[in-house]
Amino acid sequence: MNRKVLIAGLVLVAPLVAVLLIGLGRDPRVVRSPLVGREAPPFTLRPVGGGAPVSLASLRGKPVVVNFWATWCLPCIEEHAVLVSGARAWEGQAHFLGVVYQDGEETIADFLRRRGSAYPTLFDEGGKTAIAFGVYGVPETFFIGPDGVVADKFMGPLDDAALSASLRKALERAP
Amino acid sequence: MRRRLAVVLALALWPWAAALRGEEPAPAAPDPRALVGAPRGALLAGAALDAETKRVAGLLRCPVCQGLSVADSPVGMAVDMREQVRDMVAAGYDEEQVLAYFEKSYGEFVRLEPPLRGVNWIVWAGPLAALLAGAAIVARVLRAPRAKAQAEGGPAGAPPAADALPDDPELARYVLRVRELAYGWPGGTPGAPAPGDGEAGR
Repeated sequence: MNRKVLIAGLVLVAPLVAVLLIGLGRDPRVVRSPLVGREAPPFTLRPVGGGAPVSLASLRGKPVVVNFWATWCLPCIEEHAVLVSGARAWEGQAHFLGVVYQDGEETIADFLRRRGSAYPTLFDEGGKTAIAFGVYGVPETFFIGPDGVVADKFMGPLDDAALSASLRKALERAP
Repeated sequence: MRRRLAVVLALALWPWAAALRGEEPAPAAPDPRALVGAPRGALLAGAALDAETKRVAGLLRCPVCQGLSVADSPVGMAVDMREQVRDMVAAGYDEEQVLAYFEKSYGEFVRLEPPLRGVNWIVWAGPLAALLAGAAIVARVLRAPRAKAQAEGGPAGAPPAADALPDDPELARYVLRVRELAYGWPGGTPGAPAPGDGEAGR
């Protein structure tokens, strides 16, 4: 009888323990995006502060860094400097785009005037582009290969190392 | 007058015409058609649109407030998602197309009810299977003593006779001694007359 109870207990508990162990081995910050490995949703958005609308399709041939952000998000503000210096360092090799997430156009324009920018920041009316990219919260950054396919996604504020690592992944994709 | 009208018209149409000539693309969010095909349902408007939007948004999980549907959540993201659902429903996309569109970007997690496919069968069938297994165990446990008693040919759980003794001779000796002391039975057996009974009767 004791043996039976032991076996039954193991049958019930072993799968649970296995699931928990698999979960423990994962980085909780990494949320797998169904978009990675798929073509990036095409968009044409107008830049904050005026100018011609920018379409993702027109940037093919080089990797594109698409960063969703807002001024009310503190990590985004910390990350801004990393992205601006990254855009300058990778100039000619990759395109950088900011996409405003749930923020006022005037607030964003004001922020960019004060802190400077090195790439276009686009206004996403109704958050439709953020939805198409499956954005959970800002900051979130997508790395699109020269072929238009999403090579990597990064959640949270980027640092120089993470930016370079993900950009190299995007560069690996042939145009 | 006619000339003035032409100038006004040309100015009004200028951005659009420029967009057509490819100089300046018109702003456009991603088109669901590319992912889920042409709308399969009818165009909706008015009260029917409101009701269908609420129903379909109720099937989507708000990604930043896990327990709530997009229809019930007050956060900005859910507001945007509701508006996206509304636009798609108005354009004639059916429930499955709307859910599929969100699933393409957020993954299956965005559906509040996991669809019946693959590993999800466990989610649906698991509780029922566990309930049936539990019922089977309870039934077996309840039936076991009765079946055992029936096999032995006596009523289940009958108490042993008052003068029954344990099998262990050592223990049996102590039981007899206790009975002798407690009840006054000589040798611990009830058959023999107790000492002093005859004198008390006289």
